[in-house]
Amino acid sequence: MTADNSAGAPAPQSGLRDNRFAVRLESVLVLVVLIVALSILSPYFLSVSNFLNILLATSTIGVLGFGATFVIAAAGIDLSLGSVLALSGVVGALSVNALNLPWPVAIVACLAVGAFCGLINGVLNAKAGIPAFIVTLGMLGVARGLGLVFTNGQPVYGMPDPIVFLGQGRPFGVPMPVFIFLAVAIIAHFVLAFTRFGKYAQVIGDNEGAARAMGIQVDRHRIALYVVSGLLAGLAGLLFLARVNSGDPTAGLNYELTAITAAILGGTNLFGGRASVLGTLIGALVMGVLQNGLNLLAVSSFYQQMAIGAVLVLAVWLDQVNRARGQR
Amino acid sequence: MRIKTITIGLSAALLAAALAGPTSAQDKPVYGVLLKTLSNPFWGAMEQGIQDGTKEAGVEYFLQAVESDQAAEPQLNTCNTMLQRKPAVMITAAINSTILLPCLKQANEMGIPVVDLDANLDHEIAEKAGVKIAFTIGSDNTAAGGQGADFMAEKLKGKKGSILVIEGLAGNITGQKRAKGFADQLAKVAPDLKVVASLPGDWDRQKAANITNDTMTANPDLVGIFCANDTMALGAVESVYAAGKGGEIVVIGVDGNSDAVKSIKAGRLTASVAQLPYLVGKQAVEKAKEVLAGKTVDKFTYVQTLVLTKELMDAGNDPALQYVK
Amino acid sequence: MSLLELDGIKKHFGPVQVLLSVDLKIAAGEVVALVGDNGAGKSTLMKIITGIHKPDGGTIHFDGADISGHSPGEIRERGIEMIYQDLALARMQDVASNIFLGREPTKKLLGTPIRMIDRARIEQEAEAMIKKLGARVPSVRHPVGKLSGGQQQSVAIARALTFNPKLVIMDEPTAALAVREVEHVLDLIRELKRQKIATILISHRLTDVFAVCDRVVALRQGRVASDEPIAQTSMNAVVAHIVGAA
Repeated sequence: MTADNSAGAPAPQSGLRDNRFAVRLESVLVLVVLIVALSILSPYFLSVSNFLNILLATSTIGVLGFGATFVIAAAGIDLSLGSVLALSGVVGALSVNALNLPWPVAIVACLAVGAFCGLINGVLNAKAGIPAFIVTLGMLGVARGLGLVFTNGQPVYGMPDPIVFLGQGRPFGVPMPVFIFLAVAIIAHFVLAFTRFGKYAQVIGDNEGAARAMGIQVDRHRIALYVVSGLLAGLAGLLFLARVNSGDPTAGLNYELTAITAAILGGTNLFGGRASVLGTLIGALVMGVLQNGLNLLAVSSFYQQMAIGAVLVLAVWLDQVNRARGQR
Repeated sequence: MRIKTITIGLSAALLAAALAGPTSAQDKPVYGVLLKTLSNPFWGAMEQGIQDGTKEAGVEYFLQAVESDQAAEPQLNTCNTMLQRKPAVMITAAINSTILLPCLKQANEMGIPVVDLDANLDHEIAEKAGVKIAFTIGSDNTAAGGQGADFMAEKLKGKKGSILVIEGLAGNITGQKRAKGFADQLAKVAPDLKVVASLPGDWDRQKAANITNDTMTANPDLVGIFCANDTMALGAVESVYAAGKGGEIVVIGVDGNSDAVKSIKAGRLTASVAQLPYLVGKQAVEKAKEVLAGKTVDKFTYVQTLVLTKELMDAGNDPALQYVK
Repeated sequence: MSLLELDGIKKHFGPVQVLLSVDLKIAAGEVVALVGDNGAGKSTLMKIITGIHKPDGGTIHFDGADISGHSPGEIRERGIEMIYQDLALARMQDVASNIFLGREPTKKLLGTPIRMIDRARIEQEAEAMIKKLGARVPSVRHPVGKLSGGQQQSVAIARALTFNPKLVIMDEPTAALAVREVEHVLDLIRELKRQKIATILISHRLTDVFAVCDRVVALRQGRVASDEPIAQTSMNAVVAHIVGAA
């Protein structure tokens, strides 16, 4: 049989309880420790408005992270997330600004552009056999460039009110993007952990040969996963568009790496096989809390980048230590 | 099991604390300053001016920046976070003309005046979005471009040839003003010097170097290069010297930052239209204090720019030189 | 009427002709051994039967229907199961998930048309099958990667038997097992025969072959070298066919 993942993967998590809600406990611990530490270090940290701020700031990366989770589950990778985010936002903005179409078109356009880019990624990877790293790296450049071409490098400003509400509205005092972020988290988690679609994604990453032998349509599934990832990038592009009220071709630069970091921090196996949307949510929050805390403490953004890298390694290291002790 | 218990216990305690609300008290007013990035000496000089300004004004400040001058959304997130600290005023240098508007609107709602530092905001759009800007302060970028054109025309008097303009980050107002100011003035004072290419260098040294190489190849009669900032000019200069044309092509930058100054003194970069970011920062703080005291200030303050050349600096007697950091 | 009938199966990979023309008939409840040297084409032939490879020539009939070129999913549905040499298990998934891999029962989510995997049913039936096989695993929730080799094989066997197959193919099932476990597998094959389930046993251990099989087919260089009832042949004769000395 081909492509059995077990050589490259760490020992699997304990199945001794219903693990459809499982997250990497170490990451939750890191999150709690961060919250405690920052509460002590800064008087501005512990407040409802600040926590809402954190959720708002995390929403874009979070949605992208969920897309990355699906793709990584099947031992793939999507480096084009940030660029597709930008392109989707640009097309959405232009559809109402330049083409004067009604506002629902912007929403459909964002999602459609994202899904379409994902489709191309998926087909090139699954059917033409080009490695995911290469395909999505190519899409990273093409999508980014296309966005710049369409807008001549300038942001496209001024969206209709309903779109702006999506990004800046605060029903019950909670920013709209936060609602959308959490809703997507719930739906994505359900799909990945509770449906056949999600299970097959993880099995493909675990042992592709076994998946084929058991009748799973691996190629078709792979394509679908990239479409999902692209769709979520499109949604993130819509959220960004709504938040800043403009289609910005330079949006989302380097976001894909942060999104992937969130997924890994949360317990998704970088080599595929085991993935959790809930975990990615925790991972994204860890980074969001860290960034927010360091901002409140006015720590230079150079140190912030070091901190994010260090936290990732710390969380994964703690995980390895625990596995070695067999404590899970 | 134990880890799980600790986790749950801590989380519950913190949730309770969070709902109890924030506490903060300040005696001196604290100014919030948001720059683009600190990886450019231009902003370093501005920070120094702000530091000195706040010291003289007897106020405190906290300053933030993001990792690059292209990180727009992170700057918006940082801006939002800064509002948590309820500063007395928000002095912001926006990465592009529209990104900070949602945050600045919230600042308005919180009663915090907003200062457009370095004139990055698009005022028409800001007005439409309902954002009130207390005042704008920066260099007159259009005039700076024009000064560059005047100098170029003077230096190349009597010559004919091609001119390359390297713009800033695509979509950035500062870069646009400088490039346009240069091109418009050059057409007036030196019709024999033709601008053959005007390309975005994204404030990037490497990009500018590549653009210069390509343009020199396509236009062997290139006699002058105008770059919308010093970082790009320094990149262009290296390409010129690498091609063996050092000294034959006039290269002008904008900003007057310390790297550019060193290069001009060493005779490589021809000139730089120095902004005086130190002065901009200092005066921004002074005027902010006036606004908070209820006085009226000019809506637009333009701090002078100065064409820095080797001769000028060697002579050393121009009073504006003290503000060149 | 044969349960499985292969006629003139050909297969090449690039320039390499792995199977030149293979004919094979298996009746319901028959236990047929497939032997041959490395590279003779045994695994390839089996993967053609299970749909992983498509034959370049020839036909496959199963239970009267032409299944040449069908997908692995369709072939499993018709009742052909295989226990692969590397077991083809998803090691990060648990025992229950592996047993139901590809055929998970689903239930509606709170009355909506959205379907989710019926976890409770999977665990229940997996436990029943494990018990029936007499296999020893700590729990059906245990990740397969943490089980021993013998336990993992039990899972693979359970998976093959859960959906009432008519034909089970086993590729070197005893190669890595201890003596007691080997006997367990042979007993299983005898039980399958009792239930009229046909078995194809690929093995290089002729003692096992002669212990449970009805017939032995030797493949050599992509062709059937011999096809004889066990009662009418001997280990030496079989070896001779494998190496081509007869």
